[in-house]
Amino acid sequence: MAGMKQLVEDIAKALVDIPDQVSVREVQGEQVTVLELKVAPSDLGKVIGKQGRTARSIRTILGAAGMKLNRRFTLEILE
Amino acid sequence: MSVRRKYSVTQLRPRIERFLRPILQRCRLRLRYEITEGPIQDREWENPDVLVKFSGPDVELLLENKAELLLALEHLTIQMLRLPSEDHERICFDANDYRLLRIEELRLSAGAAAERVRRSGRPYQFAPMTSRERRIIHLALRDEPGVRSESQGVGAARRVVVYPIPSEQKSRPQPTLGSPSPGTTAQSAP
Repeated sequence: MAGMKQLVEDIAKALVDIPDQVSVREVQGEQVTVLELKVAPSDLGKVIGKQGRTARSIRTILGAAGMKLNRRFTLEILE
Repeated sequence: MSVRRKYSVTQLRPRIERFLRPILQRCRLRLRYEITEGPIQDREWENPDVLVKFSGPDVELLLENKAELLLALEHLTIQMLRLPSEDHERICFDANDYRLLRIEELRLSAGAAAERVRRSGRPYQFAPMTSRERRIIHLALRDEPGVRSESQGVGAARRVVVYPIPSEQKSRPQPTLGSPSPGTTAQSAP
């Protein structure tokens, strides 16, 4: 599902200060697709958010997309 | 309270659209949205400058689980726009008047909680809520005699607790427990 990789990338790029350093790797499992998000260290807070709320919001959107696309997506933010 | 607007629809619409449209498309969400000026209401809680109103076949999906998806889209949009936290309430996402009805619901439950605390003399804990919802509860309780409220807990578990004010202290302002969170000046942090 290249669409979801692009989705996470788009959202992250809109949130961070250094969009050039945003990258997303997609790891296909049998049941789950893991999306590994990497951003500049100084931008980590921007994609995680206060008390993790921003990361949680991205996961909620992935959850909704998963329902539509019949696939589970999880987001991992790499530090 | 004045209804001075800080953000205009013309200014924000292109940025909001550029952000939202690809998200909805990639998620295959069948939703339309309208970006308009928030209605001018004579209330000091929730007076948004810009209202993003959703409709369409997938509206129910937005509102499931206490409007989790609607609030997630709103949160990300606010972060994308880089609004300072005191301005978050100037943007409001809604569908089927959920937010308006929710404010009514919160006000009613604040009143009921105050009544219960006055009668029992014991504190009452609300379920965890977002900061905006907690603020509505605090505002609604401000005019309730014999009780005071504060927020407790961290992150998604943060909730409002209503305490009785012992009767001999009723006329005096209550010292708040703990340190107030940064950026808030009200007697109870939202």
